[in-house]
Amino acid sequence: MYASQQQPFMPDGDLAYTVLADLKRVTREYATAATESVCPTVRQQFTQLMNTTLAMQGELYTAMTQQKMYNAASPALRQEIDKQFKQYQSTQQKTNQFVQQRKSAIPSQSPQAFGNWAYQPAPQWQQQPPGYM
Amino acid sequence: MNLMPITAKELEYIADSMSNEDLLIKQCTAAAASCTNPQIQQVLLHQSQVHMQHYQALLNCLQQHQAIAPTQPQS
Repeated sequence: MYASQQQPFMPDGDLAYTVLADLKRVTREYATAATESVCPTVRQQFTQLMNTTLAMQGELYTAMTQQKMYNAASPALRQEIDKQFKQYQSTQQKTNQFVQQRKSAIPSQSPQAFGNWAYQPAPQWQQQPPGYM
Repeated sequence: MNLMPITAKELEYIADSMSNEDLLIKQCTAAAASCTNPQIQQVLLHQSQVHMQHYQALLNCLQQHQAIAPTQPQS
């Protein structure tokens, strides 16, 4: 084959890595572009390109790991996870208290459940009809 | 369809994105050509095609907005 007749330009792993690094960068750029778009069509286009680019990065990463070209970082230690878990559990409790306190000052809010991972949009804000009061 | 004139910022992002996709097309193709690993080569060849589609999508997006863009600066 063409490549094997001459000295390779770079080792296969390095070649693939340069593409992988660019896919990571371009995914971030699409996210930034989407957040800063004014036209809904342009925003949708950037969002779609971001999702595809992210999927392509994952595809290349998987192929590289299968070919032993990518060493994943070593796993975090149990005690480090425990430490962060405890710390953020306590932060969560304090934040929940804060939310409850502040919310009790707002009259009649219907509780929102977060059972689903998909983002639940905020309820539609209803403008009061004129002469309502 | 929900088409609004694009801002200067969006134009810059679309142009930068086309530069990115153009680079990726060339990078994937060149890397696939000198790659000896068949699995990586296959992924790179496939992805260079997808980047070409991305480039075309961005170009189409720009074309759609050509028609509704003002020719005079707006206040």
